[in-house]
Amino acid sequence: MDAILSPAFVTALLLGAVTAGTPLLLAGLGEQIAEKAGVLNIGIEGMMLMGAYVGFVAAFTTGSFWMGFAGGAAGGVAVAVLMSILCVRLGMNQIVIGIALTLGAEGLTALLHHFQFSRSYPRLPDVPVLEIPGLAAIPVIGPVLFAHHPLVYLAVGLVVLLGWLFRRTNMGLNLEAAGQKPGALDAAGVGVIATRTWAVLTTGALAGIGGAFMATVGAGLFVPFMTGGAGFIGIVLAMLARGRPLWVMLGALLFGISLALTTAFQVAGFNIPTDVVHMLPFAMVIVVLVLFARHSVLPPALGLPYVRSDR
Amino acid sequence: MYGSTKRTLLGFAAASALVGAMAASASAVEVKKLAVLVPEQGTDFGWNQQGVDAARAVAEKYGLEFLPAEGLGYGDVRPTLRELAGEGASLMIAHASGYNTAAPEIAAETGVPVAIVDAPDALKAGLVADYTLSGHEGAYLAGVLAATMTRTGTLGIVTSGEPPSWNSQSAAFAQGAKATKADIKLLYAVIGPAAYADAAGGRRVTETVIAAGADIVFGQGDGSSFGMIEAVETTKASDGGQAWFIDVIGDKSSIDKGFLLSSVLWNMVPVYSAMVEDLQNDAFGTRGYSIGLADDSVQLLKTSHIPDDVWATVMGVRDQIVGGSLKLEPVWDAEAVRALMNSVEIGEE
Repeated sequence: MDAILSPAFVTALLLGAVTAGTPLLLAGLGEQIAEKAGVLNIGIEGMMLMGAYVGFVAAFTTGSFWMGFAGGAAGGVAVAVLMSILCVRLGMNQIVIGIALTLGAEGLTALLHHFQFSRSYPRLPDVPVLEIPGLAAIPVIGPVLFAHHPLVYLAVGLVVLLGWLFRRTNMGLNLEAAGQKPGALDAAGVGVIATRTWAVLTTGALAGIGGAFMATVGAGLFVPFMTGGAGFIGIVLAMLARGRPLWVMLGALLFGISLALTTAFQVAGFNIPTDVVHMLPFAMVIVVLVLFARHSVLPPALGLPYVRSDR
Repeated sequence: MYGSTKRTLLGFAAASALVGAMAASASAVEVKKLAVLVPEQGTDFGWNQQGVDAARAVAEKYGLEFLPAEGLGYGDVRPTLRELAGEGASLMIAHASGYNTAAPEIAAETGVPVAIVDAPDALKAGLVADYTLSGHEGAYLAGVLAATMTRTGTLGIVTSGEPPSWNSQSAAFAQGAKATKADIKLLYAVIGPAAYADAAGGRRVTETVIAAGADIVFGQGDGSSFGMIEAVETTKASDGGQAWFIDVIGDKSSIDKGFLLSSVLWNMVPVYSAMVEDLQNDAFGTRGYSIGLADDSVQLLKTSHIPDDVWATVMGVRDQIVGGSLKLEPVWDAEAVRALMNSVEIGEE
């Protein structure tokens, strides 16, 4: 089993776990913000996909991964604007609109890709990595924890920032109130519609950046339908986390590690059906849900439109 | 009396000939329009493109009107099939295993013959034909090529699913490699149950396989294969040299950056041609169709990265297969494929 236990293999495996987990982390954090505010953002898959496409175009055109992330945020926000108008402002069904936005984003990005890239399939150069001096040289752990694209560190920093924001600031309280008792928030003079709109737009930005990360850092290219349900996994992570950003990160990491393990089992030569192996990430999330999220309390106003005259 | 009998016999013979000719012309189908349905756009350098390009070529060859329907996805294609039947399609090629249920239903409903994939038991005379294709002969050659050219002695096989056609190629690649170098190591990894568009997954898994020692990766993956190529382009093999990629079905030479070693090319023109001719000869739906090295419907792509002597060796093996001295049976079952990999004691030094 030398090949399996070699430092190079283990490093590649865990690096893959972090790379696969980062888009889920960003999407999960975004979804958490929307859900706290009372919006069930089923359209997050479409926001990720649009972010992946626009992010790749921006990175490919400018040669800058950072411009790619900015483009990804813009792409995600573009879809989120529709969500906020239709669901938050007009009070339409969030699930139906979310599904429609996802399907629309799938069709639009596939069409744009067809006309723009389907004859050339351009690919980005290798990912620029920020190595933390001294720490990155540690065998296995160094490259896995201290040699990533800077966005990975920023995503971890965002976990801390959101944790502080949710618990220590008026903005966090307003978000919570918009999902728990929107009428009370309104009575306190804070606009529920405005709070939810900002929440949905922020979700779009984070999901878009997650999609852009997947396309630029994860794959190095864009292909239609490439998010493959990552947005929906983000929704699961957000619900599992019960409003705690740190749990989103742990869930995303768990999912990424599970994905890496599926590869490890196969490369190690275990002759078990790959369908069973590939159930592992989802099974682990379900087990964690059952063990730790049984008492998960979703915001009472989640998924419900807010109409001032109804309060 | 004799003259009367002779006239009667001649008249009977003439009438019989006339009836026979009419019967023959009534049973043979006049093929005017050829339709093909594919789940993605026919520009993927792979399954979809080969299907659309081949159908177009066959339509031109037989002077037929060409009715392509691209980017249909993997959902319900019944409306599209009905629409094409309404447009007068003489034959509808449903070029995705996901269409296996809908296409025969619409064929029965409209009477328009359909061709489906990966359903060899679904034949129905005059109405439903199957073409479960396997490029296993070409994949065997790819295995020979890879085993001959590997520096590390380890090869990777990465796929985005385990459909029968790919299982047979994975198995044949392993067989070819082992026949060439008995102690070769094979690392087999599937990205996901249906990860055809998972480019990020393709890159992640391929990078891992390369890190485990593979310097040549045999990849099967539609959209995800571009992620595999990205991994090969940006990841050094364990010996510090460059890694190589062997593709399937299509030819990605035009977008290669110097890492494409070869590809198992599929040419579906002979298959679709045979379908049209079977329709014309009233034999459609009575047999399945296959591709192989003998008629060049399967070929191994020759790139400039392959030394001449290695290519000569590979072509020698090709001659054995075509000549019949080397017989290859396709392995369709995923479990059998994995067992084949395990028998090489993966990872053991």
